[in-house]
Amino acid sequence: MSTQAPARQPAVLRPVFPRRPSRNALVRAAARHALLLAVLFVILYPLLWMVGASFRPENQAFGTLGLWPSGFTLDNYREGWSYGTLNFSRYFLNSLVIAVLCIVGNVVSCSLAAYAFARLEFPFKRALFALVLATLLLPYQVTIVPQYVLFNELAWINTIMPLTVPKFLATDAFFVFLMVQFIRTLPRELDEAARLDGCGHLGIFRRVILPLSLPAIGTTAMFTFIRTWDDFLGPLLYLNDPERWTVTLGLNGFLDNTGVSSFGPLFAMATVAIAPIVGFFLVSQRLLIEGVATSGLK
Amino acid sequence: MFTSHRPTRRATGVAAGLLALALAGCTGGTSVGGEPAEGATGADAGQGEVTGDIRLSFWGSGLRVEKTNGVSDLFVKANPGVTVTPNFGDFSAYFQKLNIEATSGNLPCVVQLQGRQLNDYAGKGLLTDLQPMVDSGAIDVSNIPAEVLDTGRGTDGKLYEVPYGAAYDSIMVNTTLAEQAGVGVPAEGYTWDDFVDYVQRADAALPEGVAALNLGGGLPNYFIEYVRAHGEELFDGSEVAFTQDRLVEFWTMWEQLRQAGVTTTAQDKSAEATQVEQSYVATGRAVVDNKPGNQLGQARGALAGAAPGQELTTIQLPSGPDGSSGTVLFTSGWSIPRTCDNVPTAAAFIDFWVNDHEANALFASNNGANTNTVELDSQLQDPALDPSTRHALELYQQIVEDEPPTVLYPAGYQANFETAFTRAYEDISLNGADVRATAETFIANLNSALAAAQ
Amino acid sequence: MSSVRGGAPRTGAAAQHRAAGRDPRGGSVGTGAGAQRDPGVPRMSRRAREALAAYGFLLPWLVGLVGLTLGPMLYSLYLSFTRYDLLTPPEWSGLDNYRAMLEDPRLAKSVEVTVVYVAVAVPAILVVSLAVALVLSRAMRFLPFYRAAFYLPSLVGASVAVSLLWRHLFAGDGVVNALLRAVGVQGRTWIGDPDTALYTLVLLSVWTFGSPMIIFLAGLKQVPRDLYEAAEVDGAGPVRRFVSVTLPLLSPLIFFNVLLTTVNAFQAFTPAYVVSGGTGGPADSTLFYTLYLYQRGFTQLDMGYASAMAWALLVVLGAFTAAMFATARFWVHYGDER
Repeated sequence: MSTQAPARQPAVLRPVFPRRPSRNALVRAAARHALLLAVLFVILYPLLWMVGASFRPENQAFGTLGLWPSGFTLDNYREGWSYGTLNFSRYFLNSLVIAVLCIVGNVVSCSLAAYAFARLEFPFKRALFALVLATLLLPYQVTIVPQYVLFNELAWINTIMPLTVPKFLATDAFFVFLMVQFIRTLPRELDEAARLDGCGHLGIFRRVILPLSLPAIGTTAMFTFIRTWDDFLGPLLYLNDPERWTVTLGLNGFLDNTGVSSFGPLFAMATVAIAPIVGFFLVSQRLLIEGVATSGLK
Repeated sequence: MFTSHRPTRRATGVAAGLLALALAGCTGGTSVGGEPAEGATGADAGQGEVTGDIRLSFWGSGLRVEKTNGVSDLFVKANPGVTVTPNFGDFSAYFQKLNIEATSGNLPCVVQLQGRQLNDYAGKGLLTDLQPMVDSGAIDVSNIPAEVLDTGRGTDGKLYEVPYGAAYDSIMVNTTLAEQAGVGVPAEGYTWDDFVDYVQRADAALPEGVAALNLGGGLPNYFIEYVRAHGEELFDGSEVAFTQDRLVEFWTMWEQLRQAGVTTTAQDKSAEATQVEQSYVATGRAVVDNKPGNQLGQARGALAGAAPGQELTTIQLPSGPDGSSGTVLFTSGWSIPRTCDNVPTAAAFIDFWVNDHEANALFASNNGANTNTVELDSQLQDPALDPSTRHALELYQQIVEDEPPTVLYPAGYQANFETAFTRAYEDISLNGADVRATAETFIANLNSALAAAQ
Repeated sequence: MSSVRGGAPRTGAAAQHRAAGRDPRGGSVGTGAGAQRDPGVPRMSRRAREALAAYGFLLPWLVGLVGLTLGPMLYSLYLSFTRYDLLTPPEWSGLDNYRAMLEDPRLAKSVEVTVVYVAVAVPAILVVSLAVALVLSRAMRFLPFYRAAFYLPSLVGASVAVSLLWRHLFAGDGVVNALLRAVGVQGRTWIGDPDTALYTLVLLSVWTFGSPMIIFLAGLKQVPRDLYEAAEVDGAGPVRRFVSVTLPLLSPLIFFNVLLTTVNAFQAFTPAYVVSGGTGGPADSTLFYTLYLYQRGFTQLDMGYASAMAWALLVVLGAFTAAMFATARFWVHYGDER
């Protein structure tokens, strides 16, 4: 930190776009956008192709390398939404409920634990933090069975409890560690100042750490949403009743190595399944990434 | 054993409807089975009140799920007071879930299995012997041919599964391309030698980018069928019964075809998708392949999209040198785990599934040909039956007439034979491993793995 | 303390200036030497209070650890010393599983595959995600669009749809070969060839670089703008600014991303489903360690061996993590250092 310390000045409010763009800058900006769009096209080609395939008639889903549907149809969407006994309206609702609960659980429980690890001194701190990391390092494949046995004993099978309750108990060590690292980038002088203002630990946590950790909280919420939305194994094991299925279980229902597979509806529903995540991202990314910066400007 | 199935909304609706029926004079809960056979009474014999909830688990997607649920609905209608909760997933997800449920003694009451895995579960004492239920009349299997029913037996001879659908492999031929190459379709009763000769002749006259034969040296079923066509057993108890020489002969045959350019390349074979719709033979890139006979319909549909105008058909696998059948039956059926707490209802469901006419007409041989010969005939008489299914069912009847060989799979078969076989051949075809050495290692590993799985 | 939030001008660090300005001891803000504890405060009671508060904050996590996590973890440790086929109760077998690991050729193969994958994929993911994050942290038009678009591939995860897409790209008649043919190069069956299949998976993991990118972006937002301006005033060029301002301030998150990306790569599992449907083929060329672990545990019903493999990996990753933490003090700069 010593490299930049001497140069620090009091913060000065300045508009984010300070200068009127010159001709030169405009050209540079245009070039930059062109380059970004070109890179984006390469990166997004597979996805664009999938979206294209979702609008093609079923038996032409694969024939072409191009993006544009040769014979445009919405059948895949119609068919996919209520394919056989699959009921995607229901699955979207179920997935959403689980995702929201997981987000709340993770944000609350992980930030509490992270604050303790990042800011407070207490006996066995190092040992406990090592345990946080250890839970990250053990491949989850070997704890599936004991966990199932445990949840079975708790009579949680065929409920959303095994998928949501652990999140309220900060079992996702990834997020505890992530929040610890974020909080540790915040200068400790803030805590001291708050303490002098009469704040206790809860006060410091609520009024200093949480507001300044908005990017971290946003990131946690975002990642939790994606992980939960994409989770296949958990819902597969714990949700028996098709009424309680999630979107990923529904998508799995399109492919069958031993029977009929339906690629068109699969691509259509895979496209629809990404939509909520993209929407969530677009709405929240200001909050996630701009974080405090934005709130300060208003 | 705690089970936490709350009635679903649909089930609640059904229950309400049934209540109305009950008030109108119907009884809630019926009993099945006539006079108990000697020594078999009570739940072991599948007798008792048919009521309450059972979980039914099976693999499949889309249409099969719809049809299975349809049969469950019919069963519920015929047995007021019963609910059936379906559990399903694709094949691999299905078994993963099943194994984990088994660790907690939480298996569903009616479980779908194949002969290939049957002994994994039966051997560990997880399945109920169904013979007493057959003896008591709770499950009627009189319309299932004896040799087909035998595929549901464990290595101890007990009946652990009632096979309801018989699948078989077939040689799928793109007749359009075969005609263009001037070779037509192999004549009935053709042998493995004829087959090799046939694909070589086809290869000579095919356009670039189309292989005469999809590479199959790594396909376990091909080898099983090859061994059985030669009149030899695959397994003797839990030991390998086929010879190293037979395996070397089989792989050498494929290597010669591959190196001569008759087959798809080893790399392309590895890159092939597992779904039949995406396979090379269903997209016009290979003329001949080994495919399950009941996939003809999907393959035809896919080919119509990929190469409009081309036609597919299926024929039996090549015969052995003495003309004996080389087509093996693979059955799927229903089992009842030992932990099931509602055996009478589970037995009644299986009986209903196998024998109820309306149920069989609805399911329409969706998972292999119906093993109930009466129902199969009735399906074939339906003029509205689609041509691909008709062809598949008729070929099945022909196969059964030829007295197909059966295979008894030891515990540990599926886990230790199938992918290991594919891997061993990939080692030969992709990495240039020595055929004989690979065969020797494969058999040695298989023997020790099977011994460990008992 | 509502002033921290309400009055914070633009950045967290700017808020820090205000807050720090109220610190009567002032001092060299930002050097990390700011806040010394007042020795006059009764030590024991404050420390005890802090410890009590800490355990209060940790309560949910502790309940989860004891109630849900630790049990299954320790049980898997026990299982690693047993023969356990899932279907019948485990039988004690001592060190047999660990001994068997030493002479298992497929295990050796899976270690080789995993090490290659980690060595190639981890640096690639980190460089790409940091580079894109740097580009996307600058003010420009359509920024939300770009961020979302670059993040998009990570959203589809490694689903069935992706496995079909990857085959579509890298099969013999796939898109990549069509492009190569257009420039006169003979392609190959990338995902069917043991020499190249693993690298298509490296590409897949680089393609889904979104998560570390988001973490970098969030971190970059916490770098106070005035530091750059100050460095600019000092005449530092963009490279110098990156090295002396961005990198040190971002180092806790670089640390996090290096550690987690490496751990994730060692635990790579789902990508293998994309090319081989979980077999690890062609010819075991994509047999990741955890994939083999999974096959042993759930396909071959040998959960004892799988548990032993898991704990062996835990030990290796634990050593790696410890080494990372040991080196951290040389290159990771925390804002809370005293």
